[in-house]
Amino acid sequence: MTGPDRDVQAAPPRLRSVVRAMIWATVPVLLLVQLLASAGVEASSFWSQIRQLDARIARTAESRGELIAEPLWKMRYDQVTSVLNEIMHDETIAAAAVYDDTGVAIARVVARPSVQAVAEISRPINYSNGNITVQAGRIAIAYSYATVYADTGSRLLLLLVVGLLATFATMVAMRISANIFIGKPLAAIMSAIQRSKQDGRAYPADIGSSNEFGQLARAFNAMQDTTSGALDRLGHMAAHDPLTGLPNRRSLSERLADLSGAAGSPDSLIAFCFIDLDDFKGINDTFGHDAGDKLLVHISERLREAIEPQDWVARLGGDEFVVIRPEVSNEATAQAFARQLLDAISEPIRLHDKQVVPRASIGLAVRRAGDPELSHLPALADIALYHAKSKAPGTVAVLDEALQRDYRRRRDLELAIPTGFAEGQFEVWYQSLVDLESHAVAGLEALIRWRHPEHGLIGPGEFLPLIERSGNNARLTRYVLTDACRALQRLAAAGKPQIRIAINLPPSELADHSLAAELRATCLRFGVAASMLELEITEGSLINNIASASETLHRLRRLGATIALDDFGTGYSSLAHLRRFPLDKVKIDKAFISEIPDSAEDKAIVGIIASLAGTLGLTLVAEGIERPEQAQAMREMGVRFGQGYLYQRPQPLEAVLQWLEGQRGSDSRVDSPSIAPEFAA
Amino acid sequence: MACGILMPLGGAVAADARRLDIVFVNPGKTGEVYWDMVAQTMQAAGRKLDAHVEVLTSERNYRTMQELGLGVLARPDKPDFLILSNEESAAVPVLEAAEAAGVKTLLLSNTLIGEDAVRLGPPRQKLKTWLGDITTDLQTAGARMANALISVARAEKWQSPDGKIHILGIGGDEITPASIARNAGLKLAVDAAPDVVVDRMLFANWTQSEAEQVTTNYLSWASRKEIRPAGIWAGNDPMALGALRAVTAAGLMPGRNIEVVGLNWSEDALREIRAGRLLLTDGGHFLLGGWSIVLLRDYADGCDFAAVSPRVEVKTSAITRDNLASVGDLIKTRGFDRIDFSRFRAKAGRCGQYDFSVNALISSLARPDGLGD
Repeated sequence: MTGPDRDVQAAPPRLRSVVRAMIWATVPVLLLVQLLASAGVEASSFWSQIRQLDARIARTAESRGELIAEPLWKMRYDQVTSVLNEIMHDETIAAAAVYDDTGVAIARVVARPSVQAVAEISRPINYSNGNITVQAGRIAIAYSYATVYADTGSRLLLLLVVGLLATFATMVAMRISANIFIGKPLAAIMSAIQRSKQDGRAYPADIGSSNEFGQLARAFNAMQDTTSGALDRLGHMAAHDPLTGLPNRRSLSERLADLSGAAGSPDSLIAFCFIDLDDFKGINDTFGHDAGDKLLVHISERLREAIEPQDWVARLGGDEFVVIRPEVSNEATAQAFARQLLDAISEPIRLHDKQVVPRASIGLAVRRAGDPELSHLPALADIALYHAKSKAPGTVAVLDEALQRDYRRRRDLELAIPTGFAEGQFEVWYQSLVDLESHAVAGLEALIRWRHPEHGLIGPGEFLPLIERSGNNARLTRYVLTDACRALQRLAAAGKPQIRIAINLPPSELADHSLAAELRATCLRFGVAASMLELEITEGSLINNIASASETLHRLRRLGATIALDDFGTGYSSLAHLRRFPLDKVKIDKAFISEIPDSAEDKAIVGIIASLAGTLGLTLVAEGIERPEQAQAMREMGVRFGQGYLYQRPQPLEAVLQWLEGQRGSDSRVDSPSIAPEFAA
Repeated sequence: MACGILMPLGGAVAADARRLDIVFVNPGKTGEVYWDMVAQTMQAAGRKLDAHVEVLTSERNYRTMQELGLGVLARPDKPDFLILSNEESAAVPVLEAAEAAGVKTLLLSNTLIGEDAVRLGPPRQKLKTWLGDITTDLQTAGARMANALISVARAEKWQSPDGKIHILGIGGDEITPASIARNAGLKLAVDAAPDVVVDRMLFANWTQSEAEQVTTNYLSWASRKEIRPAGIWAGNDPMALGALRAVTAAGLMPGRNIEVVGLNWSEDALREIRAGRLLLTDGGHFLLGGWSIVLLRDYADGCDFAAVSPRVEVKTSAITRDNLASVGDLIKTRGFDRIDFSRFRAKAGRCGQYDFSVNALISSLARPDGLGD
């Protein structure tokens, strides 16, 4: 990722210690101020010394002048000289001279020729006795500032040395104290942060002081605690379902890893129950999502109560739960445990003052702890659950070889769908719709088949859910529509232009606004009238999206197509639907037909449907007519059309055309594969 | 120590008179002309007036002087009289001690001055044994010396460009009464002469060498000031002689274009007078030594000088080229025994009245070759 040279380039800016920065910021200022202050004090002292020296020499001149006045006036010049000589003890004085009132030097002394005189002072010498006061002469003293310069120089040097030492000492003291008071606490906090970064846990900074850094450390530690708590909560949230508090899907994989890694004996059996509530969507729709959530919470509580301490329960999301029992003696006890769970779930519950009995299906998978594919348990159990949901909702399905085979087949088929389309493996077969009075063929229903190269001919009941799940409904519908239009062409060419063709619309197609336009375009392409088409829908299609479905149906109808409601009587059988939607035909589900004429109840139901349809002006079709007496009964109850093996099994178009050509009586049969169920069974 | 020599002289002393024992504490130095001559005249008088005069010399050390005086007073055999000179006021403690010891004292040449005079008052009051003092009128002497200088300068027209006659004064010191008096005499005379100015009053500690030095300095200064020095007034002869040397060294000719005066009647001064280089030497006050013995003899014999005053002031006289011959030899030879001191004693009934003038002296002198009458 990052090469070594990149590391060099992107190296973080060199860490500049705050302590060093403080020292660099303060010490030069300190030194400068110290030196300036010293220099200022020394300069002032220097001038003061110069003034003092001037004043001292002036005093000396005056005092010597007083002493000298009398001997000078009295012309005792030897005394004058000796008095003058005395002042030469002062080493700042370079020379001195006394002049009389004529300006002649009476006495002159020179101390050290080496001493350079830079200043001179002169004072008059006044002599006075009781009678006279006269100026007897002058005294002049030449003196040098050399001692002051030397003193000042040496003091400046001393101050410089002391200043440097003080600065150095300050620097050392700052360094030490800053390290103690700033560096150490910062390092402690940094260390805590580094350790926290390394393993994600919140480490406190170990600082005992009560200063600002102590406060900072306490605030930091409090923050670490908060962070720690937040991390814990985050971890819990990541691993748990917020609604029920149960572990979630993420925990499941960890749990499975734990089970495979830490199980006591590799031969002990693990029972994995995949639970899915039946029709939880209905509960949500009926009682609202809050009630749905409440139900989920209840279920989770029941599951918790139903299990043993060693068991583990999780909610994977939606209405899916998982219960794992780590040790079961055999598959039978596992199954008993699963049923126990179902019983617990099925206790009635009150939602909005209504009694509801929750139902669930369970897919059960049992595997040895040492199984290397233990992590596949959820998928395996899901296979069983799929079976339970599709074949026997509200039961426990145990994963066995057959189920796994089914699963593999389903998976194979699902993967083969694109190839099926590409290679034209899907075939449209047709079954006739017969007028029960005249036995004339009124129409054909297009029924899809899959001629798989390995699995042979497959009925729609097996592969349509796979088509739907893989998102190929629309494609299949277009496929069937195209085939139906081509069939209409053939029928017209064969002299049967009155025969219409019905195609089944899956629920998702009703939501597709482009369907009507495509239908029209396809009809135009093949030169057939849209009115020759009938579109069969199920009640489920209407329920899911009433507005959109209604819109699509109206469009189709405006094109001239007729609408038939398929499988009436098994689903909602809503009378409102019959009235609200633009329906032309109702097809009575074959479940009501098969027991007729023996079942009085079924006869009654069909009778009511027939009378209702008559009232609403709907054409009735009876599906699954297999025997003549059934056809007779339908006729008697006023059902106009029938469909079933009694008349014709679904066949490829060529066979149907042949059959139509040779049809003379209602008993004629055409061989066709006896594959049940029919489309939309 | 100089010791007096007992030389009894007959006839001069009254028959009932007893021999006196007198001690003189000499403040001067051995070889110091004035004080030597004082002691010599004192002893000469003692020989004439039946008095034993013991001279103790303090060699110009006032501490020694006090020790000597107090030593005399401590003697078991005390003298009749103690003669002191209050030089530098050093005689006061001895004077007071003598009062305690009951020894009569006489102050010679220098009497009490200043605070001492105020404190102790006049003689014979607080200090009963202090009989009095005998001093010379040195102020008159100083004035006489100055006037002699001024007269010559005026006559010779030695005025400076400023029209004034410029004189240098050289005093011995500034504190002893003897010095103060003669300096005052100078001032007195100059104050009376508006055409005369004393450029400086210099002090030379009575010594020749210092006088020579200050005179040299003065002459140098005067030449720079364009002053024509007309005369030099010296408080004693040695200083006058020093001034003479300086004057000569400066290229002046004393007696010709500058005059110098001195005081003391010293032998050297008389020689310079004779040579015409020194104008005069005032003095004769060394005779105070002899006169003091005269006073004490009279006092001891009952003729107290205090009848006039306990303070006897003797006038001095100047020796010039005119009278040099009369006394020159006396001084040169120190032949003070030629003086008949008995002739100076007070006459009966006229106690305290004395004639110590130079004329009286001259007339009292016996011829050098024999005892005078």
